[in-house]
Amino acid sequence: MHDAYKMFLGPVHPALEEPIFFDFKIVGEKVIATNLKPGNAHRGIEALGMKRNPIQVLYLSERICGICSVSHASTFSRAVEAAAGIEVPERADYIRTIFCELERLHSHILWAGLLAHEIGFHSVLHYGMKVREDVMDLLEYLSGNRVNYGVYVIGGVRRDIPKEKHEKIRQSIKYYNAAFEKFKDVFLNDKTIRMRTEGVGVLTKNDALKLCAVGPTARGSGLNKDTRQDWSYLAYGDIGVKAQLPSQVTGKINGDVLDRTIVRLLEIKQSAEIIERCIDQMPKGSLVSEPKAAVILSRLKNAEGEGIARTEAPRGELHHYVRLAKKEVVDTWKAKAPTYNNLMAVPVMMKDAQIADIPVIICSIDPCIACLDRVSIIEGNSGKSMNKYDLHELCLRKSEMFGKIERGHQ
Amino acid sequence: MTKNPDAQEIVKRLSDKFKGKVKDIREDKHAHGKKKNSTLAYWLTMDRSVFKDAVAEICGLNYPFLSVISGRDTGNEIELIYHFYVNYGGKLQEQGINLCVFLPKSKPELPTITDLIPGALLSEREKQEMLGVDIQGISKERAFLPEKHPEGNYPWRKEENA
Amino acid sequence: MLSEIMMIPMIAALMLLLAIIVGLFFLGLDRKIAARFQSRIGPPIVQPFRDLVKLLAKETIVPDNAIGWLFNLAPVIALASALLLILYLPFLGVAPILSGYGDLILVLYLLMLPALAIAIGGFASGNNYATVGAQRKLIMMLSYEFPLAVLVMAVVWKTSSMFPDLQGFTFSTFMQHPVLTLVGPVGGFGVVLLIVTILIALCAELIKGPFDNPEADTELAGGVLVDYSGRNLALFLLSDAVKLCAFITLVIGLLLPCSLGDMFSSFMYTGWLAIAANVVFFFVKFTVIAILGLTFVRVAFARLKINQATKFFWLVSAGISLLGLLLISLDSMM
Repeated sequence: MHDAYKMFLGPVHPALEEPIFFDFKIVGEKVIATNLKPGNAHRGIEALGMKRNPIQVLYLSERICGICSVSHASTFSRAVEAAAGIEVPERADYIRTIFCELERLHSHILWAGLLAHEIGFHSVLHYGMKVREDVMDLLEYLSGNRVNYGVYVIGGVRRDIPKEKHEKIRQSIKYYNAAFEKFKDVFLNDKTIRMRTEGVGVLTKNDALKLCAVGPTARGSGLNKDTRQDWSYLAYGDIGVKAQLPSQVTGKINGDVLDRTIVRLLEIKQSAEIIERCIDQMPKGSLVSEPKAAVILSRLKNAEGEGIARTEAPRGELHHYVRLAKKEVVDTWKAKAPTYNNLMAVPVMMKDAQIADIPVIICSIDPCIACLDRVSIIEGNSGKSMNKYDLHELCLRKSEMFGKIERGHQ
Repeated sequence: MTKNPDAQEIVKRLSDKFKGKVKDIREDKHAHGKKKNSTLAYWLTMDRSVFKDAVAEICGLNYPFLSVISGRDTGNEIELIYHFYVNYGGKLQEQGINLCVFLPKSKPELPTITDLIPGALLSEREKQEMLGVDIQGISKERAFLPEKHPEGNYPWRKEENA
Repeated sequence: MLSEIMMIPMIAALMLLLAIIVGLFFLGLDRKIAARFQSRIGPPIVQPFRDLVKLLAKETIVPDNAIGWLFNLAPVIALASALLLILYLPFLGVAPILSGYGDLILVLYLLMLPALAIAIGGFASGNNYATVGAQRKLIMMLSYEFPLAVLVMAVVWKTSSMFPDLQGFTFSTFMQHPVLTLVGPVGGFGVVLLIVTILIALCAELIKGPFDNPEADTELAGGVLVDYSGRNLALFLLSDAVKLCAFITLVIGLLLPCSLGDMFSSFMYTGWLAIAANVVFFFVKFTVIAILGLTFVRVAFARLKINQATKFFWLVSAGISLLGLLLISLDSMM
């Protein structure tokens, strides 16, 4: 095409929260071809995991991503428990569910703000951040951390949610329900938002099925798919979760950005409900099946088997496969993040999009590139890959440098 | 309207159709929560030669959702596990079918399934890069590793260092 | 005699300095109030002054791809034309320093210059993002000029039809006979529509709010000004401040020029006190227009895509201004 020019988006760009590289061919303001290349935040986590014992890997898995951190911890620990045949008490299941849902709340609220930021509507971004602060405060109240809660252990949970804490949770839930009403009002009724999201980034139901899309991306296109609905895990089997579809609010399904927004907003309300039901129905019991870490570790060392776990993370289905083979370290570990499945839908959605739609479409699949990539760092232009010894060296050298600067100032 | 065959049906049909090439079938159940609802997944090992036909068979019976492809280095061989799921949409109805294929390291070839399930592309490319599997029918361009990463160095193989 | 000749450039210089200070101050006020609307604290009101000082201290980078001389000239043109604009406008409520025949038409042309300079600067950057931003700026400029032209026509036609012996396009005419006093209720509603039109054009001219697509940070990483830094960016910031001043002064001078003396006939003071009071009143009007037309619009809407923005201007904004023109002409028939 004689008029086409190339435009690159990323790896570093104000529209992207994390580095990923997009290469667009554009005519005027219309996108005609897309090529994407993840891999800019790959940290080789699975390779690291295969050199550590499962309890260490649990902490590693939590840090795959800041926003879906507990989802990764949850999936990994359940995969290990399935592989090694470790039981989990019911109370622990319910507490785990509460943390998963709180994470979904803060992720979706953050996402709503981010979408508004991409559209240029900063007021909604700041409102979203304000509501999210409350969620983070609640998480800190319950677990001691705002991110990476450290609540999971293999075989149960580390902290309890006693009755005294229930009151604060209920108050916060009231606040989230009010926030949901406000978000719904803004996203559905504001004319400028509708102009920017309706009809943009359409993914048909058939395409979503063929490309194996997951999460709100799939549900926004009409696929009635939700791991909490389809697969019994944690307390969801007891509570009964239904996949939220945009037709519940608008009556029809277009598969555009607005539909995905509606799905996520409905899930905010749903999460608040689930948390409340969990608190009401929490069974009594112990928090871990085996409180002594050394006992668990020895059981894991002698375990042999394969385990799979799936979780509905805020972005979609998270899937871990763990294989233990009577060794100290984990034999095989495959962590799959939902963005993995959804990324291939992006070029399809980009057809006939304008430049202005690009960040909106990318944001609508809620990319979590940290979950997606898991490498090496390129040193300057030499292209040399660094392994952990090189990195350790660098750390030591940097500390030395700071030490010298400090001493120089004294 | 006939209901789509569930996982048990599918596994039975596969083992009937590809007699001798399907081995090690086992059921995997786990129960959770107060009501102890259980998940169900099947594991089966398939011969490389009938692998693509088996996947085509599953697509014909009940179009699956491919979650991801796991892989590992067993020493002499490379094992690929395709994690399929069927029957989403109902309440706690989804079931898993995990298809394992072993490939000898001397010739780790396998046909692509992207003509049946386009969503498999990213996963297949990752296995090419990480394990050195040769998936026939897709591009060899790197998806995850940086361009300057040395050829022939496969991070998930046990013999090299990642 | 000599002192009188020297007075004019000195007053002009003083006015321009004041315009810069007022512009920067109101940019800061806009940011502060917008922050309060969004339940944030926001930067201090003097932040744009600090930004200016910081930018002047930073390195001015000229990219290899850029057309060097044009790249450096564009911000200078932007600031110079904006400053020149102030001299032709009734800043502070007093008659413009420079005036001649057909001032308003000259003002309309001068208004285009800073926008053109930004677009040229974008094209000269040699950067894909800046090119897209510059294209958008030009398209936007074409779009909001039409309603603006209709608006000017409406006011001038009304005033000169009632007072044919006064110069049609000069601001002193509007100050003596504000258009609101010349029309009845129907025409008054038409004038309100014209005020709405010009406030919409205000946002587009200053690249803020729903019309900031030339500079969309999430799409174009800064768009038309992406490659500018240091002294060049400082000049663009100054030009932005002066444009703010100039445009709001235009709004006041054209459609709301009433001074206190006109409004309250009992206001009989003359001399310094009267002038000071008028200046204060000018700033009151200035602030109200800035907050309503700029800050409020900025926080209340998302950003429109370029095709949506153009459609908006050619259909909605032009429609409103034509309707205003119609109402004013109807009024004189009644």
